Amino acid sequence: MKTKARYKLTIICALVMATSGLMMAQDAPKLTDPEIASVAVVANQIDIDYGKVALKRSKNKEVTDFANRMIEDHSAVIDQAVALVTKLGVTPKDNAVSQSLMSQSKETLKKLNSVSKKDFDKTYIDNEVAYHEAVIGAVKNVLIPQAQNSELKDLLEAVLPALEAHLGHAIMAQSKISK
Amino acid sequence: MQSHKFLVSKYLLIVAVLICAFVLLMGFESSENTYKPTRHTVTIFKMKFNPENLVVNKGDTVVWINKDFYQHDVTEMTSRKWTSKPFNQGESWSKVITGDIKYYCDLHKVMKGTITVAK
Ligand SMILES: [Cu+2]
Repeated sequence: MKTKARYKLTIICALVMATSGLMMAQDAPKLTDPEIASVAVVANQIDIDYGKVALKRSKNKEVTDFANRMIEDHSAVIDQAVALVTKLGVTPKDNAVSQSLMSQSKETLKKLNSVSKKDFDKTYIDNEVAYHEAVIGAVKNVLIPQAQNSELKDLLEAVLPALEAHLGHAIMAQSKISK
Repeated sequence: MQSHKFLVSKYLLIVAVLICAFVLLMGFESSENTYKPTRHTVTIFKMKFNPENLVVNKGDTVVWINKDFYQHDVTEMTSRKWTSKPFNQGESWSKVITGDIKYYCDLHKVMKGTITVAK
């Protein structure tokens, strides 16, 4: 009885340790400020690239208006980020997170460029919803908590409501397209 | 002589009282009938109109100031009767309010606000 209880406890402990270890490794990669700046620029550039494909391939005003907005707003964020790193004398540093964002976006761009014209609008908007959800998660749970410089933190905090507005806008467009 | 002087001063006193009464009445009349329109400010910051809901008097002016580094606009919501057109950080746009308004940002359609005229 006693050994059984001890055995159970050991298993529970091992499980807790394993899951927390995994969560730390997967959910919160450790990033320095120059790396965070790089992630921010890359993440914004990716959505600009998606928007440019949409302008090229879509005839739906709902979609092209949204794409234009993404290009404008995400360019404004990049301008702010560039101005800030210049002011701080920091050079954005490539890292595992930026690289994985880039390689994922290459796959998505391939899909957006090859999907049939008739399926394009839905594919684009569905991806915008998913992409903004993922970026909101990363900014909220990784970039903001890990940013050391207060101005970098402020910038990320100013980006968050925009990402949320974009997500709401994308969901509205999604419901109109699927009709 | 004495009574004449008395009469004159009595006359002057009456005139003064009348002038005072007239001025006072004028003053009251103008403050009661002509309302001086005020300016109200709605700040646009972090993708929100602040205050989101504003009560004003008829004839007041509302000024929207964009403090975000994103463009925004102010557009009538029910039928897009009017729009400010997009404006940048540091820029503002104003409108004289003549009735209740529901508005939104046509660039970021989730941003909404109202102006209500006090009854
Ligand atoms: Cu807006």
